Amino acid sequence: MDDAILKVQGLSVRFGALAAVHDVHFEARRGHITSVIGPNGAGKSSLFNLISGAIRPSAGRVQFNGRDTTGFTPDQMVKAGLSRSFQITNLFFELTVRENLRLAAQFLEHGRGLFLPTYASERSNLRVEELLEKFSLQSRANELAGYLSHGEQRRLEIATALACDPEMLLLDEPTQGMSLTDTHETETLIRELACDNLSILLVEHDVDLVMNISNHVIVMNQGQKLAEGTPLDVRANSAVQAAYFGEVREQLHA
Amino acid sequence: MRESYLISISKKISAVQLLAILFFGLSCVFAIIAIVASDVFFLRLATEAMIFGGLALSVDLLLGITGLLPLGQALFFGFGAYASALILKNWTTSIWIVLLISTLFSALMGGLAGLIAIRSKGVYFALISFGLAQVVSKVVFNSRDLGASDGIIGVPNAEILPGLTSGDPAVFFSFTILFILFLYAGLNYLLATPYGRQLIAIKTNEHRVAFLGFNTWRYKLSAFVLAASIAGVSGALYPMLRGFVSPELMFFQVSGNAIINVIVGGTGTLIGPLYGSALLTGIRSVVGSFTPHHQLVIGVLFMAVVILLPRGIIGYLAPLLDSWRSRKRNAKIQEADHG
Repeated sequence: MDDAILKVQGLSVRFGALAAVHDVHFEARRGHITSVIGPNGAGKSSLFNLISGAIRPSAGRVQFNGRDTTGFTPDQMVKAGLSRSFQITNLFFELTVRENLRLAAQFLEHGRGLFLPTYASERSNLRVEELLEKFSLQSRANELAGYLSHGEQRRLEIATALACDPEMLLLDEPTQGMSLTDTHETETLIRELACDNLSILLVEHDVDLVMNISNHVIVMNQGQKLAEGTPLDVRANSAVQAAYFGEVREQLHA
Repeated sequence: MRESYLISISKKISAVQLLAILFFGLSCVFAIIAIVASDVFFLRLATEAMIFGGLALSVDLLLGITGLLPLGQALFFGFGAYASALILKNWTTSIWIVLLISTLFSALMGGLAGLIAIRSKGVYFALISFGLAQVVSKVVFNSRDLGASDGIIGVPNAEILPGLTSGDPAVFFSFTILFILFLYAGLNYLLATPYGRQLIAIKTNEHRVAFLGFNTWRYKLSAFVLAASIAGVSGALYPMLRGFVSPELMFFQVSGNAIINVIVGGTGTLIGPLYGSALLTGIRSVVGSFTPHHQLVIGVLFMAVVILLPRGIIGYLAPLLDSWRSRKRNAKIQEADHG
């Protein structure tokens, strides 16, 4: 089996005159945590949108699991085995936590039992209970998603993306707006997920978290890949230091 | 022990479903009184209300469940009515064959219209559905073969069972209410299935549904076809009641009235649109007998409901009923504890 689960080759997208992503190449390995970092406007979210099928590339290819998935729609990407979470919590706020997860887990039924009562969808109902426990949401299962705290909503966001049992999970700033404790819990959770042989592609602002948990880091700047390598390599890279860590340090010292 | 069993059962029936039971219960009471009093006028009026109730159900499936605003649902209602009139006049008077064929043709029409309309979202969907209905109604209006502006008159009664026809007001009202109950129960069931839940999810957050691995276009198209079939089969009952069809059945006024019935009754509740249709058809008829300006009254009532009860009558009553029931349940539990 090919070691690379995701291959991105020459991927570009333009919004008018702006080249949001320009000629990006990288590979993400199976079972690894690959992270994408970069300053605001570096093109990280656009890269995620390109891979997950939210937008179509102007040029380049995306290969997932040995298949050419360039131009796939979001639902086709999920069917191919790639699921994603969102930077801005994107849930069904008017539905309960359990219902949010059940809708997502229904994917596992492959269209079977579509017209039977929901309780007949055994596999998805089991998956829901499993996720409620894993993400410590049991006590909130019957609350509307809109009534959860920010940290709980962020957890539900990841759980929802995970419900379809993907081979690769794209996490878009999972700790955004989280307290320090919640961030630590999320870090542990991501590690656990990777231990279950799930491949993870992570976009994250928290550089310390990225350096702690990633196997491989890609640094982006102004739509292009600036550098990639292990966390240690990336930290030592002078171009990265100038473009990214320098900026962060300046911010920290300001 | 027995009491807690009763409580657990009562918990399963929602307030909206209780109001639905009340609706069909009241319909039976009405039918009995009307039959005993040998009434014709009110039975026919109530039948008409329920036929438009079927149209309102189809609007609610799109507007209240799937989150699509159909401004041209009368297209399918009128289409079903014309199909029914033509079959009754030229081929067979069996109501079952008429309903079956009208449903199939409306579904086909819904599929074609859906392929055009579902490509667009929000206000564009609303305008395309409106435009489609306008185009078809104008074509019908100008088709001599379909009776042009006069429509088709002299439609014979439909036969329900040997000896029972749509010409008998009591029989036809009973048939219509049972048929609407069947449609309501079917839709209610559908909402409890994964398919129905996905439609609700599309209304709540269509963007995310795609990222859960579901093709939202297919779900919306199938809901559109289902709604077209329901509107069409309801329309098929119309010529059986009135003995004629006219192009006005496809006009915007019919689509608009259906939306008003849904919003006044309670969007997304399914039973609300039936209450809305019963109430507003009644008001139109009663007020219409005093003044030709009955639309003025409907307009004011619509505005009042939108401002004062934005969730409609059932959307307002159901939570009240729910909190009253839970207070009663808590009192019962406390009583049991003390006892």
